[in-house]
Amino acid sequence: MPIVGAFCVTLHKDRCINSRMPGKCATCVEVCPYEVYAMDDEGQVMVQNFNACVGCRICVEFCPYNAIRINPAEPEYISRSLWTFAQVEEIHYKSLTGQYLLRGFGTMGPLPHFDNIVVVPSQLASPPPKDKYREECKMEVVIGEETAKNPIRLRLPIIFPAMSFGALSREAKLALAICAARTGIATNTGEGGVVEEEPYYSKGFVDKEMTKRKWSPGGHLVIQWSTGRWGVSADYVNAGDAVEIKIGQGAKPGMGGHLLGAKVTEEIAKVRGIPVGSDALSPCRYYDVLTFEDLKKQVGFLRDVTNYEKPIWMKLGPSRPYEDVRMAALAGVDAISIDGMAGGTAASPDVVTQGVGIPTIACIPPAVRALKDLGLHRRVKLFALGGIRGGLDAFKALALGADGVGFGTAAEIAMGCRACMACHKGGCPYGITSQDPKLRARLDPEAAAERLTNFVKATAEEIKMLAMLSGHDDIKELSEEDLRALDINTAAITGLKLVGYERRLPWWEQQETTR
Amino acid sequence: MTRVLNAKGQDLRTVSREMKSLIEEESVVTIKNASHLHGLCAGLKKGEITIEGDSGDYLGVLNDGATIKVRGNAGKYIADNMTRGMVLVEGDADYGAAQYCYGGTVFIRGNAGDFAATMNKGATIIIGQDVGDEVGTYMLAGDLIIIGNAGLNLGNYLIRGNIYIGGQWVSLGHNCRQERLAPEDLTKLEGYFAPYEIAVEPKRFKKITPQSVKPFYK
Repeated sequence: MPIVGAFCVTLHKDRCINSRMPGKCATCVEVCPYEVYAMDDEGQVMVQNFNACVGCRICVEFCPYNAIRINPAEPEYISRSLWTFAQVEEIHYKSLTGQYLLRGFGTMGPLPHFDNIVVVPSQLASPPPKDKYREECKMEVVIGEETAKNPIRLRLPIIFPAMSFGALSREAKLALAICAARTGIATNTGEGGVVEEEPYYSKGFVDKEMTKRKWSPGGHLVIQWSTGRWGVSADYVNAGDAVEIKIGQGAKPGMGGHLLGAKVTEEIAKVRGIPVGSDALSPCRYYDVLTFEDLKKQVGFLRDVTNYEKPIWMKLGPSRPYEDVRMAALAGVDAISIDGMAGGTAASPDVVTQGVGIPTIACIPPAVRALKDLGLHRRVKLFALGGIRGGLDAFKALALGADGVGFGTAAEIAMGCRACMACHKGGCPYGITSQDPKLRARLDPEAAAERLTNFVKATAEEIKMLAMLSGHDDIKELSEEDLRALDINTAAITGLKLVGYERRLPWWEQQETTR
Repeated sequence: MTRVLNAKGQDLRTVSREMKSLIEEESVVTIKNASHLHGLCAGLKKGEITIEGDSGDYLGVLNDGATIKVRGNAGKYIADNMTRGMVLVEGDADYGAAQYCYGGTVFIRGNAGDFAATMNKGATIIIGQDVGDEVGTYMLAGDLIIIGNAGLNLGNYLIRGNIYIGGQWVSLGHNCRQERLAPEDLTKLEGYFAPYEIAVEPKRFKKITPQSVKPFYK
């Protein structure tokens, strides 16, 4: 028997046939084994003892007018964990359909995240704070300075990570490109090919010949090279300012992608270069990479195809951050993005998004150590992705050692998304993740770009404010000393000093002395 | 006029730069001793290049209009992701020949390894002798012609496109079915064979096409 009084029982009188016609229906009274309901002498049904309800919901099943709601009276983590209503319904869904759950939006629930870290301001024991109104703080991040003829200069330590045309609407892709142009940051094609306007919009021009500038200062476009190779040609890899080799992503590391044939509309088929209605399956690994040596050769020919002009980037999912980042750096790339498990703009099986990967804050320190051990930290640029919500998270990622951060989900929300998490269904009411022309018409690229630009600017100000109050005038100076962990768990995961204790946990200190 | 480049001891960047400047001069280029170079002739839009001897891996990757010939054997991933042009191999091709191609023609006079023509999206790929396992996996468009035999799972998860095979297969992959050759198929095959002087009778070929247009979900 569960806890007494665990449920609220609500009878909706506007739906209940008995409340309009007393005596007409008393199904709930009949089916409830615990006498929660009763019928009085006039035939009127009422809830006589909600404390007796055990939450079996047989009354809900049988009510012919769908008039009954049973809700947990207190948080289910107290009264019903592990068997919450949502868990029960999930099992019912699977037992009825034989299918697993699919959704967008990354890992939900209490994952170690940036919230367990605080920023340390300057007082006496460290260089004094900087004056945000009068003094400057350098925010620029340069990618490929030592290797590429045309390095990328990001004005802010911010990128929009890969989200494909197909997953996103054309309008959303263009909004990201316009915002990149307006803020001097980079957007990424994703693996669904390049939208015609993306290359020149991201530079700030409204025409292909790039004679008419509309948006300043102009941004950058990263071209993604992935396992499905949609719309990929020599022209495609040269259409942007860098090429990103995708190895994995936070939402579903170890899995590829799959745009169902039903979503391969004429427009998408054209950009992806495949028949209308055919499944666009992106395999989980490269069929043309069998060994690590092959991966190095890919970096080599991508440099050659782009005439040694463009930086080469690599995107990793959250797996073994130290070893993976080490290998990516040894493959010879100029920048590495590592996506934590909270990352999740992609539709993904629920079990994968929920249970597979490493939290973002646990990916950054090993990645930084790998680069430091190779003498490549700050030379090969590291971008942290996955559940980064604003300037505070971004600052913490930078202080942990990343050179920049990516906003995927936050960018969607900045465009107007309300996080309903049903992106994969194709019915996005804000036109961001839908291919339906009627829904897409609701998203004006320039208006969405305005919102994105405001968001990026506000976020950059937040980063700047935090950097300056902790005594820095260049984001490259940020370090772990600017952060403290709030709890032992976070201190153990990240190697940050623990608040109060003011030191790193013993095994981190030991590791330092034994190194 | 034909110009010869000796790639011995040279790196990709150097050979690639010299080759491109010769192509700009409208020269026909022959490259010797290039088997250590991977990703040579990447993304070329024009030119005629012959590799004397064997080639390295990823020869002609992203080819977009050039004609590339290999006199010996080709390494792994020959003509990877080609969009236009022609790649001819006189000998055999290693693993993963002509993967991810959108267009153009690949002709391998000898054998090709496993996973050849994977995710073909529109190229014409002709293999003069036998192929390995899993050839034509996830093919979306184009024609794959195998004169000899195929290994396991030929055309696995065929999404669209046609496979023509002169010999036998060990097994057919998921979503494949054998179809009767139509008169157009015979004409098409004759057209493919003529330029390479392939003396086989198109009538003895078997045609394989996708069983369902939706091989992954009902």
